[in-house]
Parts: sequence; structure tokens; C-alpha cells
Amino acid sequence: MKQTARIISIHAADTSGVCSMLYELGGMVVVHDASGCNSTYSTHDEPRWYRQDSMIYISALTETDAILGNDEKLIADIAAAAKDLSPNFIAVCGAPVPLLAGTDFPAIAAEIEARTGIPAFGLHTSGMHSYLAGASEALEAVVSHFCTEALPRTDAPSANIIGATPLDFSVNGAVESVIGWLKKSGFELVSCMAMGSTLDDIRRASAAHVNLVVSSCGIAAAELLRKRFGTPWIAGVPVGEKFSARLASALKTAAASGGCALTCAERDASAPGRKLAIPGEAVFSGSLAAAIEADLGTPCRVLCPLEAEDRLLAPGDLRIFDEDAASAAFAEASGVIADPMYAPVCPPDVPFFRLPHEAFSGRCYRKESLNLIDHPLPWRF
Amino acid sequence: MLKLAIYGKGGIGKSTVTSNLAAAFARLGCKVIQIGCDPKADSTINLLGGDPVIPVMNFLREHDREPERIEEIAKTGFGGVLCIETGGPTPGLGCAGRGIITTFSLLADLRLFEQHKPDVVLYDVLGDVVCGGFAAPIREGYASQVLIVTSGEKMALYAANNINAAVHNFEDRGYATVRGIVLNRRNVDREEEKVRAFADANGLPIVADIPRSDDIIRYEDMGKTVVEGDPELDVSGRFLALAKLLLEEERTA
Repeated sequence: MKQTARIISIHAADTSGVCSMLYELGGMVVVHDASGCNSTYSTHDEPRWYRQDSMIYISALTETDAILGNDEKLIADIAAAAKDLSPNFIAVCGAPVPLLAGTDFPAIAAEIEARTGIPAFGLHTSGMHSYLAGASEALEAVVSHFCTEALPRTDAPSANIIGATPLDFSVNGAVESVIGWLKKSGFELVSCMAMGSTLDDIRRASAAHVNLVVSSCGIAAAELLRKRFGTPWIAGVPVGEKFSARLASALKTAAASGGCALTCAERDASAPGRKLAIPGEAVFSGSLAAAIEADLGTPCRVLCPLEAEDRLLAPGDLRIFDEDAASAAFAEASGVIADPMYAPVCPPDVPFFRLPHEAFSGRCYRKESLNLIDHPLPWRF
Repeated sequence: MLKLAIYGKGGIGKSTVTSNLAAAFARLGCKVIQIGCDPKADSTINLLGGDPVIPVMNFLREHDREPERIEEIAKTGFGGVLCIETGGPTPGLGCAGRGIITTFSLLADLRLFEQHKPDVVLYDVLGDVVCGGFAAPIREGYASQVLIVTSGEKMALYAANNINAAVHNFEDRGYATVRGIVLNRRNVDREEEKVRAFADANGLPIVADIPRSDDIIRYEDMGKTVVEGDPELDVSGRFLALAKLLLEEERTA
């Protein structure tokens, strides 16, 4: 059945991406949606919810509000709450009902900003796109609003990490491992967008020599920083020994030359023969594929079920738009490394290796989540 | 890029004013796009010799897919004016306002402005700002100025007042502002006095005074605007003068 998931899950929606990306930055995030939906964005998809405060709210949109276009109620509620909370910024975004009603979030944000004096931005979420779209737009908005000053580069080589959220990296030490790996590779951290850093850290992003994009949701923000400050970026996640070394080398080259590179896509999966299938987010999956090929000699192919620019995919990688396509691609594979929720559509004679992805299965397999960064690959094929 | 939205009471002559203005801009050498935002989808017909373009909503209904190229939902009319109609849902069903938003989103996806690089974009909008969809043409990034078409008839002025108030409500949103009134005469008693009183009360100029003209009707019967049919006529001159005024303002802004 086309574009349908009967058995497997679907990825977290754009609203979850916004909440996840902005969670730690001291901003107020308001999703214009029916009451009760907060648990989707902030509990099932959010491992930080019970241990770290945040300001994520649902507007409790009612049928009457939607019919009457009660934008004023939303604006007044947010302005009143902001007065008590004094957030660093206010982000307002939508769900399917505002999509149908045509709610103009950038315009609402302009009114909120005029009324409160607090920087506000409206985001175009609708629940109809994946978390990557929401996370990308949210981070781009933060960079656009707060990374405005061209600071002198740090004396020592330095980098920002761009695109880190628990939806891709869980909360299992992976992001801390990326930071540790950067330091081992000779780069001080300026900011990590957006886990473990404050908004003030992010304001200093222009001081970095290079940016490391660890998820496709970070590319728009990295591009904005390149346009504003000439900071080059490299896309890839340091997994596996040889690929991590290649990534460190690419970072150093970029810092010196100013050129960008999609290191995660510098592969070729077009040769015939069965390959290890890796469905998931393009930057992480591409990096993992490159790491397995380099360290273990097993040919791999990324299956991309999410929004991704063509340049993020290597020759021979495949876009999969529904579970039938995933199942067919698994049947041709030598094995599958994927979130456990893909297992039911993997043929029984194809080896399946579990790698939970928070954006796909939420908290279901959180206890199994693996930190692959700067660790030896745990598989032998 | 000059981007104008034309509002006014249903039947007041918005499409006539808009398409004559489009033809006038074209005669002045501008590259023009006219987007009809009325479910009736008859905004551009007199720029197209009476041979209408398929409205976007009809395209979606008939093809069960989104258009992949602008050419699938646009036709070039008099003076090279690119004509697009949003159209509407099946009468009595669906949501016309949402249709306008969907059309605008599609046009953005198809990179209409980047590809066509127009000098002037005209949005011909349904009679009243009844819901969010009908305010879409005045949102940021679309029209930056509104022209309100009215006669001296009471209900036309009533609608004009509603439209003006609606636009004012959006002042903090960065939406379009009202540029002025187009008086489209119906030859009612003390017409100019009534419209001028409304305009003065709201601090708006009357930017054009269009006489009731059999020539407009005669050329529309031929599927043309009067500006196309005979640019030397006095009524055509009014549209050309308005186009020149708006262009001059745009150039000096």
C-alpha cells in the first residue's frame, strides 16, 4: 500500500522536532493544538522531560477557537504567560488544525513580539512533516535571531556541533562523546546546537572555525552561519575508527580552506550485490554506513525514509517512502541495522540488528539505545 | 516588485478593474502576473480572449496530484500577462479559503516569482475578508498594498469599510496596507460625494475614478479588457493613469 505504515511506526512529526531542538534554550515554545497533545511532543519523544525543566506548552485550541479564528486569545495567553516566565524567546508553531484553518504563525509571532518585547518567531509546522523539518526550521530561526554578531575566531581551533537532538542521539552520552571526540581531534567546543549548551553559547557561534553538522536538521542553520560569517561546515557523525579519523581530517581541511563537505555521503553503494541496509536519518546513517565499510569491510546501503536533500545520499542509496518499499529493500539486503520497530517487516532469513532511533520508536526501546560515538562498532557480519 | 491586492464587494467590478489594470501595466512594458483568488475563477477571462485557464483547484480535482510546472496551471494572456486562478472546491463542500492558501503554497513551491520575475503581481480577491484564506493575499510576502474598489452604493461602501477595518486589524502583523480607493461608478445619486466622505473619514485617497462605460461591457463581450480593445478611450486612460501612478510610487519608494 503506497505511503502507508500498517505495521511499522512513523517518524516523530515536525512539532516534536521544534520542541526537541528548543528544549534547553530557555525559550517558551507554544504548540497551537488541542489540549492533551503535549504528551506526544514532550513525553513520548522527549527523554529530558522528567529531569530537566523546559517551557513547552500547548495552547489548548478548541473547535470554537479554530472556527472563530481566535488568534487574539492565543496571543493574549502567550503574552500573559511570558510576563511571568520571562523566556529568552517565544516560538509558536502549529499542528494539523491550524494548518487547515490557515493560521499565520509568523504574523502571530510579530504581534507577540510587539506586545511583549521578547524575540518571537513563528514556525510552519503542521504535523504533516517529519521531526527534521521542524527541528531544522527552529534551529535556523534561533541562529537567525541570535547569531548576529561576527565575533573574532577563537585562538585555538574550535567548532560548533549543529543539529543534535535526543530524537537522533537519545540521552545516552552520545553527544558528550561527540564533544570529547572533537577535543581529541584538536577542536574546542564553542556551542552544541542544541544539547548541553545555553543560548549565550549559541550566540558565540560565529567565533568557531568550523561547524560539524550531525543531522540533516542542522544543515539550514550551518548554511546560514556560512553565509553570515563564512564558517565552513562538514556533515558527518564520528562513528567507527577509520571514518572518525576521516571526519577529523575533513574538519581540519575545512577549517583551513573554508570549504564545506558532505563526508557522510562520500561513499558509493551502486555496485551490484547484497548490502547491509541502514534505514534512518541521512547524516547518521550515511556515517554509520561509511564506518562499517571502512572498519568491517561490509558493503552498506542507506535507506532514507525522511526528508533529505539529494546531496546527502550516496550513489546507490535508496529513498523509501512506505513500509512496502522498506520491506522490499530489506529482502534484497545482506542484513539490516535498524530501529527494532522495523523488525516485523524484515524477512526472517535476513539478519536484523537492533539500533533504536528515538525519533522512530520514542521511548519504547530507550534502554537498548547504543552510544556508537568513539566506541568500537559492536557488530560482526 | 509591485504587489497589489484588489478587494471590494461582490459584483462591484474587482475583476474588471484588476484585469484592466493588468493590461495597463502590460501596455506600459511591465511583466505582470494576475492571480484570481475567487472560487468563481473568472478574474482573468478577459485577458485570455474568453478562453479561461484551468483553476488550480480544478487541476487538483481532475489530476489527483499537484501541478509540477507553472505551465500546467497558468496561461499567458494579453500583453504577456501570466494568468492564474485559484478556483474553489466543489460547490457546497470543502473550504474555499483553504484553497487559496493551498494555491499560494503551491505557487511558492513552484518558485513562481523566482522563475517568472514579474514587475507587478495583482491578486483579485473575493468580495470580503470572510476568513483567514481570504486574508492570505495580504500576508507578508504577498501583496504589500490593497486597493478597495467601491461605488457610491450603500452596501459597496459597507463592504469597503469592513475590508479597511480588517486590514487595519492586521497592522501589527506586517501585512499590507490600504493604498486607496478605486471609485467604480454605478451612477448613483451623489456618488462622488458619498465615496469621498468615506475616503476622507478613513484617511484614504481616491486613486482612480472609473466612469460607468458601455465600452467596458462591449469589449468584455469580445473577451477583452477595454485597455486592450482601445487604449485611446477615456476609460482606458483612467486605468493607464492609475498604473503609471503606482509604478512611479514604486520606483521612488
